[in-house]
Amino acid sequence: MPRPIRLNAFDMNCVAHQSPGLWRHPQDRAWDYRKLSYWTDLAQLLERGRFDGLFIADVLGIYDVYGGGRDATVRHATQVPVNDPAMLISAMAAVTEGLGFGLTASISFEHPYPFARRMSTLDHLTDGRVGWNVVTSYLDSGARNLGEVAQLTHDNRYDVADEYLEVCYKLWEGSWEDEAVVRDRAAGVFTDPSKVHGIGHEGEFFKVPGIHLCEPSPQRSPVIYQAGASARGRQFAAEHAEAIFTAAPTKEILKETVGDIRRRMREVGRDPYDARIYNLLTAITDETREKAWAKHDDLERYGDDEAALTLFSGWMGVDLAEYDLDDPIGEVESNAIHSAVAAFQQADPDGGEWTVRDIARWGVIGGLGPRVVGSPAEVADHMQEWIDYSDVDGFNLAYAITPGTFIDVVEHLIPELQRRGVAPTEYPPGTLREKLFGAGPRLPESHPGASYRRLAEPLTTGAAA
Amino acid sequence: MTPALPKRISVNAFDMSCIMHQSPGLWARPEDQSVRYKDLRYWTELAQLLERGKFDSLFIADVLGIYDTYQGSGDASIRRAMQIPVHDPVVPVSAMAAVTEKLGFGITVSATYEQPYALARRFGTLDHLTGGRIGWNIVTSYLDGAARNLGMERQMSHDERYELAAEVVDVCYQLWEGSWEEDAVLEDRDAQIYADPEKVHEIGHHGRFFDVPGVGLVEPSPQRTPVIWQAGTSPAGRAFAARNAEAIFTVAPTTATLRGYVDDLRRIAGESGRDPGSIKIFTEICTVVAPTDAEAKARYEDYLSWTDYEGALAFYAGVTGIDLSQLDPHQPLEYVDTDSARFALEIFSKADPDRDWTPSEVARFVGIGAMGPVLVGSPQTVADELERWMDEADIDGFNLAYAVTPGTFADFIDLVVPELQRRGRYWQDYDEGTTLRERLYGPGNRRVREDHPAARHRRAIHRSATDVAAAAATA
Repeated sequence: MPRPIRLNAFDMNCVAHQSPGLWRHPQDRAWDYRKLSYWTDLAQLLERGRFDGLFIADVLGIYDVYGGGRDATVRHATQVPVNDPAMLISAMAAVTEGLGFGLTASISFEHPYPFARRMSTLDHLTDGRVGWNVVTSYLDSGARNLGEVAQLTHDNRYDVADEYLEVCYKLWEGSWEDEAVVRDRAAGVFTDPSKVHGIGHEGEFFKVPGIHLCEPSPQRSPVIYQAGASARGRQFAAEHAEAIFTAAPTKEILKETVGDIRRRMREVGRDPYDARIYNLLTAITDETREKAWAKHDDLERYGDDEAALTLFSGWMGVDLAEYDLDDPIGEVESNAIHSAVAAFQQADPDGGEWTVRDIARWGVIGGLGPRVVGSPAEVADHMQEWIDYSDVDGFNLAYAITPGTFIDVVEHLIPELQRRGVAPTEYPPGTLREKLFGAGPRLPESHPGASYRRLAEPLTTGAAA
Repeated sequence: MTPALPKRISVNAFDMSCIMHQSPGLWARPEDQSVRYKDLRYWTELAQLLERGKFDSLFIADVLGIYDTYQGSGDASIRRAMQIPVHDPVVPVSAMAAVTEKLGFGITVSATYEQPYALARRFGTLDHLTGGRIGWNIVTSYLDGAARNLGMERQMSHDERYELAAEVVDVCYQLWEGSWEEDAVLEDRDAQIYADPEKVHEIGHHGRFFDVPGVGLVEPSPQRTPVIWQAGTSPAGRAFAARNAEAIFTVAPTTATLRGYVDDLRRIAGESGRDPGSIKIFTEICTVVAPTDAEAKARYEDYLSWTDYEGALAFYAGVTGIDLSQLDPHQPLEYVDTDSARFALEIFSKADPDRDWTPSEVARFVGIGAMGPVLVGSPQTVADELERWMDEADIDGFNLAYAVTPGTFADFIDLVVPELQRRGRYWQDYDEGTTLRERLYGPGNRRVREDHPAARHRRAIHRSATDVAAAAATA
């Protein structure tokens, strides 16, 4: 029995997400991000392809490293303008039944008390199809505009993150008992107040004495997503995450990454397969290999080097505008770039040293993630090979153009995967968590959030706290 | 002299993302759907119903805390689902927008706990996704419980809350109006330019509460600034509302009381340089309507038998700070020598000086439509009353609270709207305006008026005056 391939779609509420310049392609609809119909159409398409979920990235800030400012970023719409992703979800939920929604929100945006309420509201209104991609990092340009919490986060981001999650878990898991809501119309009693508890949280960064404002939702805690790449980020993911996004450029690096994450999960007492791991990938496919490559070459023509460099400069903190496009990458002073580029160079048949231009060219389709071009069978082979080799669970599919890239996947690749018996033809029943793991809708007992289900005595309602 | 045409009566539905909004106890009636507040279809069905009735908008209240004054605890509120549990009201907006074309959405968000940078982005996003049908009801939160959970020992002082709100709002105005010029977005595929960076500006805000140096993250949306709602009644609240509000939401027991408020507010607005008539005023009402007066009266009596004493007094205590829990339910308030009883009596005597006000009568009053008047009768009777309120109080319309949802709205739409249409006081259909602001100011008026404080942050095309002066100086 071949191993199933899990798929997420990767998008962002902006024009140029991971394909710098390709918004100019005549078939690209990325700039329709402002319209609800773009999102509802996309959600229905992905549901037709039985994707696990739509994963929506976010930054609350602007990339301003390239050229020492934000002008090129604005010109190329490199993840700016960028709208709030949480506002999209209810409209998509209303036109789908099985698709999950992974929402990115940084702990530096707002206090956990209103945030926990927003996620619970989403979990109710989507019937338990929501996940939270916990972001602990930030853009400096954003943090400067966000005041206190952002400053706190800047100095101790993982300490703040641990406590932020603790507050959220207490609110989601520990405040309302399962039997608290009685809905007794005859007695006029909706909730039994003795089963609703103030969380009494007094921490280093937050004080939250009161009760959660929402009754228990289908999943209580949303599915926790994470994408941290640093060692500390991986550790955080190993402790909390149920879905993890990686961006390894080669299957060798991916194998090492996946192995490290699963080892860390085992060490913290979790089942190493209690997190689904998805690697970033951009797949360009069509009916045949020839058509796929023709499509790829057409797409690539619309890529914009400068736009790509605005993105990479922002990610890496190095102003690539200071280099000539033909400068060898070796001259760029950034370890982050070197490790990424080393991998690509390895895969490059020419074997020559990459220049700044080469990395920009690579990045115009799918950012710094790997890409695969080919017939449905070739792409499917490639995916299976990576999964078998690296023990990854699936892929987070970025687009070259949207929804074109996703349409090709749904029309050409998914049927091939279904024929091979590695992609579902129907959604499993239940919440997103049930779809991902086949167990219950709530966090498993081994998850740290589950430990807040029975909060320590004494408990009082929010009023008296 | 031709008599002026009677003013169109605008109606907004008043709801909240919770079970028991303004009619404590009535959730238990079998036909009431408020328990479906966590079902997305409740919201999409409601939006479609309201659009069928040509309502201006759906107005959604919010609190970020619980009512815990009654008996010094939140237990009664929790037991009776008195605005707890309560969801985030912004979340269902996009789903409702996707199934409607004209209905507006007035969403309550407290200015007390938000980072304006993130908040401005949220409303900018909603303005795009709804095609300009969003409004922001700015509240300055008053619940101590909410403050404690957000890391403040207690609520800030009343005046300080308004100072904070003023700065939050001002930062938002700058981000919405002043950061991206009207023609900043070029979408020029051939030249590879999405937006012209010269036409996107840092707002450079350095204030008492916030530093926001950067650019807005949202490109110009249909309205830019959402329609600004406010409900302030205190002196500081009135000043804030007179300065910022385009629409006011209020509640008053009589047309005379309301008229006093309306005149005062328009006077203050005029003094601060705004056209007094540009502030649209909506008062809360609840209607119980049936084909005949007798049937409506019978239904009202039936509703009254479902009102919930504990829930009503818990709500009343939460919003007024007056806890009547120690009193005998049937003891007349005039014989009770406590400050809270005296204060309660003063409020309710205005609503009805002839009634013998007891805690039980207070609960009956609050039990349907909360602190607002309830109009009971045939479509003709209710229409007469609506016209009387409009004309005597010089208001622009109503926020219609429900006794049962969506029943109260459906009855209003099926019975009262046709009657008002016959009288020429309600429109036959929406006009060609597509944004919420056009509901207030007529087709074509999508942006804040020139006399609104947000307009001050608009930029001249291409360059500000200082840029021009600086360029001239160096030339």
